[in-house]
Amino acid sequence: MLMPFFGLETEPLSAQHLFNIGPLDVTNAMFFSVVTAAFTVIFLLIVARLSQMFPKSRLAYAIELVVDFVWGAALGAFGDKRLALKFLPFLGTLFLFILVGNLTGSGLLPGVGTIKSGDNILLRPFTTDLNATLSMAILTISLVQFYSIRTLGFKKYAQHFFAPPIYNPMNLFIGINEVFGELLKIVTLSMRLFGVIYAGEVLISAVAQIAGNFGWLAAVPTVLLEIFFSVIQAYVFMMLSATYLAIRMGEQEHGDHEEESKTAKAEVARA
Amino acid sequence: MNHVDPSLIKGLAIGLGAIGPAIGVGLIGSAAVGAIGRNPEMQGRILSTAFVMAGLVDAVLAFVLLIVFTTS
Repeated sequence: MLMPFFGLETEPLSAQHLFNIGPLDVTNAMFFSVVTAAFTVIFLLIVARLSQMFPKSRLAYAIELVVDFVWGAALGAFGDKRLALKFLPFLGTLFLFILVGNLTGSGLLPGVGTIKSGDNILLRPFTTDLNATLSMAILTISLVQFYSIRTLGFKKYAQHFFAPPIYNPMNLFIGINEVFGELLKIVTLSMRLFGVIYAGEVLISAVAQIAGNFGWLAAVPTVLLEIFFSVIQAYVFMMLSATYLAIRMGEQEHGDHEEESKTAKAEVARA
Repeated sequence: MNHVDPSLIKGLAIGLGAIGPAIGVGLIGSAAVGAIGRNPEMQGRILSTAFVMAGLVDAVLAFVLLIVFTTS
């Protein structure tokens, strides 16, 4: 089941079958994603109980810093406190879940990718499976469409793609391109996360095998690089989701806000 | 030249594929440093934007690595 790469043995591309629950095939990535999610939820529940107005525990303080970081990113993307507060739970969930999944994949946890059940690997980080990242991307883009229909109404939402004189061939062409671009967002969002994390994990094992007896030493810089990329990719995924949402949600309120900001800028310029 | 070693092609693919992202990351870095030099009080926001852009550009190299790793 292992793939050759420069004569080395690396992790296979697809997640492998572990066991069945009724008609559902459970792969190792699905199994470990449930474990990761349960760990994250329980850990954050414990932290939420520790959190106070002036937190005494350092753990709660650290996690509050992370939440504050996500809040700052959301506020920067939406530029509006009400909207940012509305989407903070979604963005925070995305960031923390992807971050934990990526960090388990970057060689930090012993046993991930090495413990075997039969021929197959038992624990596989869920972001190294294309199904997991694709599902997250589809969820995000569906959410964008849902909220933009809800705020704009279906007519305006359709007009965003196809401008009013639809029999105009140019408008039709641009509209089809827009719809295609929307679908392409799903592909780029999922492939970016999957590509970086999976390639990183294969890179670690490849470097470790090339180095022979000193694999444990040669893998250290690669692991550090992977930790950096894990954080960056989690941040990029969250930030892009926030930006996609903000672009659509902002359209409705553009009318008044732009006028206000223009007058405010003019006043500043006069002063 | 009847038979080309697949390892050579893989190495070449990684090397050629790394040129574009390397230039891109370099441009992002130089632009970020220049922007911080012009207004240092915006350092935090500039750096976070630069990291996002670096992440987007790095994905190109990740695609190359993905294709190289997944074809035998």
